[in-house]
Amino acid sequence: MDGIIFPSGVVASKQGLKEYLAHGGYGALEKALKGSPEAVLKEVSDSGLRGHGGAGFPTGKKMAITAECTEQPHYVVLNGGEDEPGSKKDRLLMENAPHLVLEGVILAAYAVQAPKAYLYINQNYKAATESMLGAMAEAKKADYWGEKVLGSKFNLEILHQPAPPNYVAGEDTAALEVLEGKEPKPREKPPFPATAGLSGKPTAVNNVETLANLPQIVTKGAQWYRGFGTADSPGTMIFSLNEDVERPGIYELPFGVPLRTLLEECGGGIKGQKSLKAIQPGGPSSAFLLPEKLDLPLDHQSVREAGSSIGCGVVRFLTDGQCIVEETLKIAEFFSRESCDQCPACRMETNMLVTILKKVQQGGGQEALLDQLSKVIAFNKGKGFCNLINMPGPPIESAFKLFPDDFQAHLTTGRCPTA
Amino acid sequence: MKCICLVCQNIDCKSRGSEEIMKELEKQVGEKDLKDVEVKSYMCFGACQEGPNIVLYPQKSWYAGVKKEDVNDIVAHLSGGPDVKRLDKIDSSLKDLIYQLLDTGVF
Repeated sequence: MDGIIFPSGVVASKQGLKEYLAHGGYGALEKALKGSPEAVLKEVSDSGLRGHGGAGFPTGKKMAITAECTEQPHYVVLNGGEDEPGSKKDRLLMENAPHLVLEGVILAAYAVQAPKAYLYINQNYKAATESMLGAMAEAKKADYWGEKVLGSKFNLEILHQPAPPNYVAGEDTAALEVLEGKEPKPREKPPFPATAGLSGKPTAVNNVETLANLPQIVTKGAQWYRGFGTADSPGTMIFSLNEDVERPGIYELPFGVPLRTLLEECGGGIKGQKSLKAIQPGGPSSAFLLPEKLDLPLDHQSVREAGSSIGCGVVRFLTDGQCIVEETLKIAEFFSRESCDQCPACRMETNMLVTILKKVQQGGGQEALLDQLSKVIAFNKGKGFCNLINMPGPPIESAFKLFPDDFQAHLTTGRCPTA
Repeated sequence: MKCICLVCQNIDCKSRGSEEIMKELEKQVGEKDLKDVEVKSYMCFGACQEGPNIVLYPQKSWYAGVKKEDVNDIVAHLSGGPDVKRLDKIDSSLKDLIYQLLDTGVF
């Protein structure tokens, strides 16, 4: 299947500067510099590109907000703080296509007229960091960034910043805190980074995969980009599949392709030919879906209408032998562990959900215990600085709604009926 | 009646001295030989800004912003004295949520 980022839809091999140039690399930058920053912004806006880090916000709109701010200077941050369980797309992109990512960063900086850009990369991603630093050096030498880029009036400095290896450090305002030399703790919003980000200045913070789309959008145009995907979700998405399928890996697919294609054609089906019990289509914070949704198109709108979310494209397939109560408890424990402990409501909610679910899992609790899950979630909804407080809700509530008998059996016997 | 005296030991309450308050409570409960009272730590009541927080259960008395000098009055309540009304300042919706959790055995 054709991709935008990976022509064959999967990672081929690492692309150094020579290989990148042979495939038209930095052609987008040359084209962009001949036109105005507004022209780049318009192309990105017209393409309908959405953020690939999880929230799916329109990228062109976000960049335009920064570009239009009169406050100077503007900044660009490449958010490579990826730490979502099972997600490996940003790491593999930086490792294998560092110049594509870098050209995306440079184009974004030109579009928002930022004289400085930061590459914020998970510090545990050694190979990705090395690859990006190598690409930075090659690109600097070739005049793709620095003083008077390719003889134009555009100046750009690019710096690297290691990101702490935890989940919250990937949140955009937590990234800004790290860049300011502080702890990775999210800020209260508004203001949003687009208007008041790094050192209070307008900052475009974008995910790695998002920016990797920019070179092709600028080179081939918004209409070409819209030839992939759906009207609501144009383009492609890189999905991460893990050990629950025969062929784990990352697969780039146009938005709107059915889940079944990802599972069967890309992943080679469920590992060990077990039968499917539930699907979690967008990482640990997404709601579970039943196997009957296997023909659901993978795009933002369709997945949302089915009651879940596409997140950053980590798709999990649970099989009949897996205990949904235990899986839900693991998710609750993850969010409790990753809460930065800054907001009291988040701390209380994530701790409480783990305590309740442990009681359910171990059995012998009261019937009313199950009702407390949604009460705790509803009480704390939206009370944190960042979205983490809202994340345990969808998986926990959907698991309970779709598999009430499993929860009931656990509560009564302390064992899973399907295990 | 048996009473569990739950003392929050989460970050905010601790930073405001809840460990010392818990020790003082244990000391005074021991000195008064209140055999029906168990002093126990609790993970969080979700009222961190109002902490340190103490909840008496099943009596359902919630004392917030407790200081070491308030412990005498709380122990007097535990000994059959009146409620410490000046420390009762938590919103009823949060009280309802936490009391329901305690009623279902979430300790």
